[in-house]
Amino acid sequence: MSANPIVVVDKISKTFPSADGRGSHLALDEVSLTIEPGQVLVIIGPSGSGKSTLLRTLNALEKFDTGNIVVNGVALADKRTDLNRMRAEIGMVFQHFNLFQHKTALENVVLPQVVVRGRPRSEALVRARDLLEKVGIADRANHYPSQLSGGQQQRVAIARALAMDPKIMLFDEATSALDPEMVGGILDLMRKLARDGMTMAVVTHEMGFAREVADRIIFMDQGRIVEEGEPGSFFASPSHERTRAFLDQIL
Amino acid sequence: MLERYWAITVSLFPFLWKGFIETLYISLVAIVVGSLIGFFIGVVRSQRVPVLNGLFGLYIHTLRGTPFLVQLYLFYFVLPNSGISWLSWDSITAAFVALSVYTSSYVAEIVKAAIEAVPRGQSEAATALGMTRLERLWYVVLPQALKLTVPPMSGVYVMIIKSTAILSVIGISELTRQGEISILRFPRDVLFIYGLIAAMYFVYCYPVLRFARWAERRVGAARIVDLD
Repeated sequence: MSANPIVVVDKISKTFPSADGRGSHLALDEVSLTIEPGQVLVIIGPSGSGKSTLLRTLNALEKFDTGNIVVNGVALADKRTDLNRMRAEIGMVFQHFNLFQHKTALENVVLPQVVVRGRPRSEALVRARDLLEKVGIADRANHYPSQLSGGQQQRVAIARALAMDPKIMLFDEATSALDPEMVGGILDLMRKLARDGMTMAVVTHEMGFAREVADRIIFMDQGRIVEEGEPGSFFASPSHERTRAFLDQIL
Repeated sequence: MLERYWAITVSLFPFLWKGFIETLYISLVAIVVGSLIGFFIGVVRSQRVPVLNGLFGLYIHTLRGTPFLVQLYLFYFVLPNSGISWLSWDSITAAFVALSVYTSSYVAEIVKAAIEAVPRGQSEAATALGMTRLERLWYVVLPQALKLTVPPMSGVYVMIIKSTAILSVIGISELTRQGEISILRFPRDVLFIYGLIAAMYFVYCYPVLRFARWAERRVGAARIVDLD
């Protein structure tokens, strides 16, 4: 382990009120992990295992009850922390893209640069065009999200996140809502990002991607990290029964 | 017969026109002022500001749960009796205030509902990009919410325009009041004169509804723009 991990999650727990309104259920149960700069961490697990919740705590979209998280040296549990400033350093890509519906693809990439980073519009435009080119959607720059396919929208969403020059990128099931023929293109983009040295935390059901790109894989179940390891050993010889059962089901 | 109606129309038109202008004037002021107040209240209510939320909720539900006529009487007859000098309004001031306040109660609920109808993912994405609460509201949520307010808002505006007729009871010489005075001159032609008044209201209200439909289609349709 190197001296300066970019993310340190220290024994965080979180309870949700349960669906019937009575009682509560433990979404995260003393979860700890670290992410080193440049590392790709892939989080897998059955639905309801807490993997998305865990990812969303990393940029404080989701609060936690106990424990602490330190991202880029900033402690999230500290009341004095400016969460908005902290979030500006973390890119996030959502399952349902969440592009701003009233803005064109280009303007989606320009807006956060101008509003959050305070860049001059001209500079933001240059950067936005450059990024749209990079994610392969420059020809659709002036289209609205409703005029784009899911795969195209996700490309714009990735460009929007990258425009903030994030130190780490979070992917929350970025390909789960896509038509099958769109999935490959988005995974290729993510692969390219990883190769360029981006630090990434990826929640996904794409085992091929996990095996190939991940530096480390975490398997979660019922709010706990059940197993954790390098992709080679993780897939070849999982040590826990629960991991084996899960992998058997989806592979 | 036709000639008689024509003669009545010609002789009454200047009066009815004056009333129409008054109706136009009062309704526009009420719509603009009421919308501004209502917009502010609606935005605050959507943000669940602790104390203000309860106060504004009381304001809205009181106004929506009581007849406009009763509110008008309160502003015109009851407030001046409070003995507080600046609350002694003349009829036109009372009319402006009553109608603006009434308008705001409807606009506030529309704005709040529209803000809440913008998908949660929109402000979540803005949050993840590091925008503050106000920035999310201003750059992401409000522009999309405003679009959603166009159809219900036009319904409220038409309702407000029609509500100005009630102002005749406190002596505002708007369209309905002018009509009633005209009827004193031509008591045999009640039906025709009311028909004339109704037609003038319609001429005002119908374009508002048409405009709403046009605007709805225009802001609702996605289009490709060239930025440079």
